Amino acid sequence: MATKQEALPNKKPKRKWNKRKKREAMWGLFFVSPFIIGFAVFLLGPMLFSLYGSFTNYNLTSKMDFLGLANFKRMFTQDELFWTSLYNTAYYVIFNIPLTTLGSIFLAVLLNRRIRGISIFRTIFYLPAILSGVAVYVLWMQLLSPSTGLVNTILAFIGIKGPAWLFDPNWTKPALILMRLWSVGGSMLLYLATLQNVPKQLYESAEIDGANSFQQFLNITLPMITPIIFYDIVTSTIGAFQIFQEAYVMTESGTAGPANSLLFYNFHMWNKAFVAFDMGYAMAMSMILFIIVLVLTFINLKVAPRWVHYGGGNSA
Amino acid sequence: MGKSKGRKLLSIVLMSLIAFVLVACGTNGDTTDDASNGGTDEGTTSGEKTELEFWSFWGGGSRRETIESIIEDFNDSQDEIEVTHVYQPWGDIWTKALAAVASGNDIPDIIVQDINTVRQRADANQATNLQEYLDQEDENLEGLFYPQLWDTVVHEDEAYGLPFNTDTHVLFYNKDLFEEAGLDPDTPPKTWDELEEMARQLDVQEGDSFEQFGFYPLWNLGLDVWTINADEGTSWFDDNGDVKINTPEKVSALEWVLDWQDYYGQDTINSYEAEFDSGLADPFISGLIAMRGQNINYYTDLRENAPEDFNFGVAPLPEYEEGSGPWTWGGGFALEIPYGAENPDASYEFMKYLVSTEVQTTFGLNSFDIMANQEANEALEDHPDLDENGHMIYKLAHQNLDYTVITPVPLTAPDYLQLVNGQLDEALLGNKTPQEALDAAQESVENLVEQNE
Repeated sequence: MATKQEALPNKKPKRKWNKRKKREAMWGLFFVSPFIIGFAVFLLGPMLFSLYGSFTNYNLTSKMDFLGLANFKRMFTQDELFWTSLYNTAYYVIFNIPLTTLGSIFLAVLLNRRIRGISIFRTIFYLPAILSGVAVYVLWMQLLSPSTGLVNTILAFIGIKGPAWLFDPNWTKPALILMRLWSVGGSMLLYLATLQNVPKQLYESAEIDGANSFQQFLNITLPMITPIIFYDIVTSTIGAFQIFQEAYVMTESGTAGPANSLLFYNFHMWNKAFVAFDMGYAMAMSMILFIIVLVLTFINLKVAPRWVHYGGGNSA
Repeated sequence: MGKSKGRKLLSIVLMSLIAFVLVACGTNGDTTDDASNGGTDEGTTSGEKTELEFWSFWGGGSRRETIESIIEDFNDSQDEIEVTHVYQPWGDIWTKALAAVASGNDIPDIIVQDINTVRQRADANQATNLQEYLDQEDENLEGLFYPQLWDTVVHEDEAYGLPFNTDTHVLFYNKDLFEEAGLDPDTPPKTWDELEEMARQLDVQEGDSFEQFGFYPLWNLGLDVWTINADEGTSWFDDNGDVKINTPEKVSALEWVLDWQDYYGQDTINSYEAEFDSGLADPFISGLIAMRGQNINYYTDLRENAPEDFNFGVAPLPEYEEGSGPWTWGGGFALEIPYGAENPDASYEFMKYLVSTEVQTTFGLNSFDIMANQEANEALEDHPDLDENGHMIYKLAHQNLDYTVITPVPLTAPDYLQLVNGQLDEALLGNKTPQEALDAAQESVENLVEQNE
């Protein structure tokens, strides 16, 4: 403080203004400091450490020698499971994101009606979102059991011989995507809230103009909820890239499924870090994942203005 | 103006970072100081005992009761060391220990570790070198253990742990079903050919479905065990650390397993597996399966769940061909002092106690674990507190350990199994021939070794 006052000695009017602003800024910083400190210590610090670690052979306890780009070179040219894991993850993301987005919008529209007992339906559809973790995975393992599971039993009713799901490498990823689809309740709730904020007068005027309900949905509802769709896509893409738990729990003792079909990016990274103690390599992998997600988010942000509609709600 | 504001923000962020780091380091230093002071005090003052924390994942049942009574005996037997048993869940114990070693805080004094990764930890400086203690012993501690178990704890000619218990995989067979099928219940199959012959006699087929299965090699046993059996005890890596995946014997073992799969049919196998997984009834106890290869520890299940008159036998795994040897596979656990633990001297004393013949015998007696100490298993072969079946189990185990291969993780490729198992699945699914799959695995693992060298 003192040094700064000395640095600006002869600008008296400005300094006065400055002082107030400074005080304000001080308080501002004071109030956000828990976040800044938390961010610096628990996120930025580890991230920087991990960035440095990715250029080393760090193994947690005894080694940390600088290797330059060796980890990255190995990843792209020698590690075949790196590509397997990248493929599996991309597959999951590409199918999971559109399906869960469409699914939750569809559900939200269905549940946005004024009919008797709607809140019960809403609760039922939201319920899976609050159930999570190992219990759900174990439940799904039973549902997906090839011969006795509920899914295949129902398929058999309509004459379809269900696949072996978690035992057939071609069906393991679809099985997980199906399971994810079951718990779209969380984003459904977001859409539901947004749908209820779409101004009624828009529909009224559309009705007067003779638009049917599908046209109304296409031209009013959808554009009005694009900001939430955008938000949902960005966050769920980031989340989908980090898939790990499901694959770890639902494959026998963490074997990554038949023929490595559930060896997702984070799964492979985890193996490198905690099975091989090759922490440096795992850090390098996490940096690549960071870059992938960063680029995708950046593209999302760049493309957004073309389809996201920020028409100021009630003023329309 | 903007500049000075930016600078200020930066300085505040930096200051808080520095403050945080200082605080963190400060407490860190303090705790270690305190602890080491405490440690030396305990060492010098005769009145105070050295307190040790012993981590295991034995959370319930006979193992926990036994280890706790063993610890109580140890604590009562002298007044220098006081051991406390700390139960850590199976899924957490080793990660927690690793975090403790890496951070230098709350390191357990002694821990039960996976015997297959002792060398890995030795190499990464996560376990305390025990060689100087062993060198001071009058008797040769190494001689207590089965040689292949001892091998797992030695890294660059120095020991980093003491083997505690082990297991081995054997053939369990239902004697009543043998008799029903007109087979001699006291002559289990000795070779793969005999196994197949007897299995066919034990199969009971009703139309398209099986009422009784003679034997299916992958029920309760891994494909890798059969490849070890066929290759006369050579696992995916040989003793020199060379990759031995696509050997003719292993290819033929894989082909043999695929023949069984074809015989019963993938659909039949899948649907029964799903039923077994539901855990409703043990198919061996219910008589659905006449012979099953599995961990000898399965005996504890039989003791608990099988009816009293359940008439079963155990035998070594049949050998690949006559004279090749009934090779099989085992695992186990070792005792270690994590690197940086404060009282290695006292910890070593306790570890030595845990591997002594007397304690090992007690532990085996109550848990039916196969112990690492050879004399303990020998003592259990005719221990008065065990019944006939118990004697049979320990006799077979002790004899079987001559042919039991332990497969410690190779330092050059700790995560190689991911590659091998992926290829084995391809073969089992019929996407690749055994030769193609094992060739691919051989190449992939060699490549992994090359990456790590």
